[in-house]
Amino acid sequence: MPDLPKKKVGIVACSGEEMAEGTVTRQAALRVLEQLRPNETVTICLPLFLAGGEGDRAFARFYPTIALDGCDRRCAARGTEMYSGKPAASVVVTDVVKDNHLGTARRLSEAGKQAVDVVAGQVAQKVDELLGVTWDRKQQVADPSQPTQESKAKVATCSCGSGIPVQVVQVGGQEVTLIALPLIFEQFHAAAKLPGEGTAVELIQTVKIYNPIPDGQEAAFTEAVMREYAAFCQEEN
Amino acid sequence: MRKVMIVPCSGIGKSYGTVAREGAYVVTEDLRPDTTQLVPLSLLVLGDEQARADVSGAQAITIDGCKLACATKMVTESGGTVAHDLAVLDVYRRHRDLKPSGIAELNEGGTELARALADEVVVLVDRLTGEVKNA
Amino acid sequence: MPKEMLELTVDKFTFRVPKGLYYNDAGVWVSLEGNVARLGLADFAQQRSGDMAFAEVKPVGTALKPGVEFASVETIKVNLSLPSPVTGKMVEVNSALGDAPEWINRDPYGNGWLAVVELTDWSSDQARLLDADAYYALIKSQAEEEAK
Repeated sequence: MPDLPKKKVGIVACSGEEMAEGTVTRQAALRVLEQLRPNETVTICLPLFLAGGEGDRAFARFYPTIALDGCDRRCAARGTEMYSGKPAASVVVTDVVKDNHLGTARRLSEAGKQAVDVVAGQVAQKVDELLGVTWDRKQQVADPSQPTQESKAKVATCSCGSGIPVQVVQVGGQEVTLIALPLIFEQFHAAAKLPGEGTAVELIQTVKIYNPIPDGQEAAFTEAVMREYAAFCQEEN
Repeated sequence: MRKVMIVPCSGIGKSYGTVAREGAYVVTEDLRPDTTQLVPLSLLVLGDEQARADVSGAQAITIDGCKLACATKMVTESGGTVAHDLAVLDVYRRHRDLKPSGIAELNEGGTELARALADEVVVLVDRLTGEVKNA
Repeated sequence: MPKEMLELTVDKFTFRVPKGLYYNDAGVWVSLEGNVARLGLADFAQQRSGDMAFAEVKPVGTALKPGVEFASVETIKVNLSLPSPVTGKMVEVNSALGDAPEWINRDPYGNGWLAVVELTDWSSDQARLLDADAYYALIKSQAEEEAK
């Protein structure tokens, strides 16, 4: 089984060649990738992505992405959604920077260079937010009125093509697929963290890194995950 | 006479993408502003009407950073006619002394390589516009 | 070419390691074909190096022993000297790489092969080489260190 992957954020920039704002997105993306958050981000090359780059597309299906666009035509955001999934965050330069005198696409003015600083800072902040909290990659619905059922654990591999194992668990009567759960269990078990209250908090926090948990559902998810973990530990012992 | 469409890949993962982008600017802004026009690849791929109209019926020269040839592939799939395709990697092979580095900002070698690339593109542009004139 | 493949995914990159080949720790793969060995550059090594701009292989007739350079490749990122994993004599080189070194990137275990060597001390050479599992473990630790 692969090791638990470190969560990173994909940065997709439009790099639009015909306007200064496109150059701002390119420079801002590179600033984040190379200087501000080099260990937490991965570049998604938009032309390669659109042309069928499977590595980039699979990454963007599994990991959160931030789309950086120069204008409201939003090529980076639309392209990402078309081939992988809705970006977790989207920044449009014309929304952030109201100055029209950014220079040319080929040579940014001083105002353009400052715009790069501003946009890069905002993107770095969004990277921190995405790595600190769950992001809403897909809607999950659990009906708390339904009695908790015996879980039908099913371990498989994520269909996004990343090779990350997933496990289906029962949460409030509904089947929920949790990414990386088998790996998380292995790590906790290897660290001798037995099922219990202290472990529950840490366990659900780890699960939340890879899976969105809807507001108000944390208790139900915690119960389900702990139940699965107890079964996992029993099987291992 | 229709302008020749110049479509760079502008890939952000390698220096070659920046060289392609800069080379396209040298062609369309410095060397042949009257006979060429830069078309943003993403706009074309995502169906922008103006970009599609620009490319439709025109001759395009694609500039790809590497041999993955994203610009060439996507212009063709978007209904454009690729008259010539260049890869920066191949231009570098012809100018081994101009080793590019940097993506956000090119080194001197990269800037000169962009210029060498632009010179090769201009030869192709002149050939295309000359052919049109003589038709 | 062996079909079973180990795969390592780190971030957006997937590195392939065919079973049934041998590897040295520089990333040169060895495919045993009777009394000769076909050599090439493994997927992890070629991806890490970048787009091949030039590939130069020593000529037919060159005597090789482990550690002696048998080929070199150049990208805008690296100039890589490739040490021979085996003992013997070069009997064939991939001439297609002169015009199209990108085969090393595009098809590292197939059309991107570098050279064929007539073996003279395979039993000693084999003992020094890594099998697919050992090479996989090596690149895994290197890739994960770089991705941090």
